[in-house]
Amino acid sequence: MRTSSALRPKHPRNLYATLVVSALFVIIYLVAAYIGPWSPKKGWGLGSGFLATALFLFEMAYPWRRPRARPLFTAKNWIQAHVYLGALAFVAVLVHSDFSLPRGPMGWGLLAFSFWTTASGLAGVFLQKWIPTTLTESLRVEALYERIPELVASRLAEADALMTGTSDVLSRFYRTEARPLLEKVNPSWSYLLDIRGGRDRALEPFRRISQFIDTAEKQKVDDLIAIFIEKVELDAHYSLQGVLRRWLVWHVPPAALLMALVAIHIAGWMLF
Amino acid sequence: MSVRIDREDLLRRYERRLGLLVPAPIDLLRPLPIFSGVPEKARDKVIEKVRKYLHVVDFASGDEVLREGDYSDSAYFIIEGVVEVLAPGSGGSAGGVVKPQVRGGAHDVPAAQRPNARPAAANMIGRGSTNSTVVLSAFPAAYVPGQRLLLEAGEVFGEIGALSRYAVSATVRAESPLQLLQIRLPALRMLMASSKEFKKFLDTRYRTRALGNHLRAVSLFAPLEDATIEELKNAAELLSFEPGQIVVQEGTPADGFLLVRGGYVKVCVRAGEADLAVTYLRKGDYAGEAALLVDELWPFTLQALEHVEIVKLPVDRVRAILEKQPDLGDQLWNDMLARLKARGAVTRDPVSAEYVQMAMETGLIHGESVLLIDLSTCTRCDECVRGCADAHGGQPKFIREGTKYRNWLIPTACYQCTDPTCMMDCPTGAISREVGTLEVTINEPTCIGCSNCAGRCPWGNIIMVESGEKRPDGKPVELATKCDLCLTRPQGPACVQMCPHGSAVRISFKDIQVVTNTLK
Repeated sequence: MRTSSALRPKHPRNLYATLVVSALFVIIYLVAAYIGPWSPKKGWGLGSGFLATALFLFEMAYPWRRPRARPLFTAKNWIQAHVYLGALAFVAVLVHSDFSLPRGPMGWGLLAFSFWTTASGLAGVFLQKWIPTTLTESLRVEALYERIPELVASRLAEADALMTGTSDVLSRFYRTEARPLLEKVNPSWSYLLDIRGGRDRALEPFRRISQFIDTAEKQKVDDLIAIFIEKVELDAHYSLQGVLRRWLVWHVPPAALLMALVAIHIAGWMLF
Repeated sequence: MSVRIDREDLLRRYERRLGLLVPAPIDLLRPLPIFSGVPEKARDKVIEKVRKYLHVVDFASGDEVLREGDYSDSAYFIIEGVVEVLAPGSGGSAGGVVKPQVRGGAHDVPAAQRPNARPAAANMIGRGSTNSTVVLSAFPAAYVPGQRLLLEAGEVFGEIGALSRYAVSATVRAESPLQLLQIRLPALRMLMASSKEFKKFLDTRYRTRALGNHLRAVSLFAPLEDATIEELKNAAELLSFEPGQIVVQEGTPADGFLLVRGGYVKVCVRAGEADLAVTYLRKGDYAGEAALLVDELWPFTLQALEHVEIVKLPVDRVRAILEKQPDLGDQLWNDMLARLKARGAVTRDPVSAEYVQMAMETGLIHGESVLLIDLSTCTRCDECVRGCADAHGGQPKFIREGTKYRNWLIPTACYQCTDPTCMMDCPTGAISREVGTLEVTINEPTCIGCSNCAGRCPWGNIIMVESGEKRPDGKPVELATKCDLCLTRPQGPACVQMCPHGSAVRISFKDIQVVTNTLK
């Protein structure tokens, strides 16, 4: 899949609406800053702070979509709202901070966590669009993440059965070179860069051994290659589905920290 | 209404009945009139061949043999006793009394009283009503409402629903202690093939009792007057085809207007060396409009995908009707243009035929609401499964594993077939579908875990799951479970609603255009 396809929005209308509203925020900011001094503690400045907080609170409500997806009717609507309102919240933060660098650790913390949460969310959106297409277009096998170790074990058993009673040459090759590759799931970050990368190189020993065995056993090697390819595809699934599950670690805990900082920030503003 | 059901008792009774379900003895079968049309020399051979599909079954007075709206794969010959056929719509359970039984004596908790009553279909995703459930009344034309209709020894019933795979049109109940010969579908077909007399007998009954209703159920003939329908009934030829048999060959003269009475028919067109699938016909569909309107040769080949029953109407009769009813001509012109357009599209782009072929090969053509997952957008987050589990007390009703076709996954989830074969052999009637709705549901309290439905489902979409209960012998109770389109969820199926990426969709394979547009 081309990167440009993954960057294309599923619902362009939502993107355009977000851009229009963001532009409106900026225009309001420019007009207000032109009329008088901009302050995050009053007027439009304070308003944008409240807006950012409200949007962050809405973002944190994402898990509430279950079990009935109310009030947005479908989980798809929820995620669209989550993505675009999240981006809008970051724009509101920038407007609130007068588009200037913060002073003090609290300000830096708020800005940094806002940026990180938004950026990690958008990176997640990219991964969620790019990985499924890559898995589907490039691999023939489809598997449930939790079942992959079990499926790998069954491929190993299949290969063991296939190699029973073979010649010494083939049997030795299987024991020493092929079997170790089939024994367990081998996740790798390299699948993220090239999902089929290294496959030809990995198949080279299988092709080489074919030269040293008789015709009757060549079919067995072909079958072994088929099993190996399936296993490699299972590895790729395990790696990339794992990324799809784990990227949230980079998004959710920072978002929770951001909310804690926002709470302290608001409490500080109210008390002092 | 609270319903107390003793599952163990139901199971014991079912197992007892199963023990009695042995092939009927030859001596009992030989004198029966259903074999009288089989030539004397071949009679014993035929009986021996069909015997394994023939069972003698006994019913107590009051037991239900067939229940309106169910599907059955058997016809019944009354050896001894009397049955009452209840008028359609009168229901099987008298006075609203819930009386779970082993069929005959189907479990019958009226739909509205079930724990999972169906909410209104409005604003649901992927669920709704269907007009595909056709119930053809096989009631005699002479029946007067209010009158009791009793059938006595020597009568046959249930054959129309079994052969055409229509829902049972009326509840049949034992009026007295009853002994029946249950004739399962393979035996019915073998008997029709070996005895002209038997086939003629069944055809005559179909012609007199059901054909008129069948013609009326086809939109094209719905507005016709009774006399015209009568005329068509008498002129119709009833044909049967085996799976794979050619019904008509492309390029041959079209001498009839064909109406599919039961089964699925593949419509294909020759392109070079290959046959390209254009679409498929199902019961209620028709073919032959080109012959009627423009005297064309058959523009397609029609091939039976399974056992197919066809009603062939002579072209000249239908043409005479068209002269009197020009509106019908307009509808036919539209149909013809649509089909020729589809034919053109397939010959221009043979790849588009692949979807139709896939639908036929995988059996999806039977599906009224098939769950498909677009793997190119699915993040494998399992929200669909979680949504399903949330909607069913923590127990998901489908497995996100199945056949992969291009970028689509066809998960292990009930297709809600037009003619659910799973409903044919349920001893307690626990599996049912309300007429006019899509969802085939299992009523858990009356499921005895016999796994007949799971075995019957050709796609393995019914799963046996441990219920947590134990049988007296210590073995775990396994009950059948399947997708019920989230019957109790006002928003419709959770799998579709809870998919954050819109990857899960539900489509009906009735309209191949919708299928092609979705899959491509």
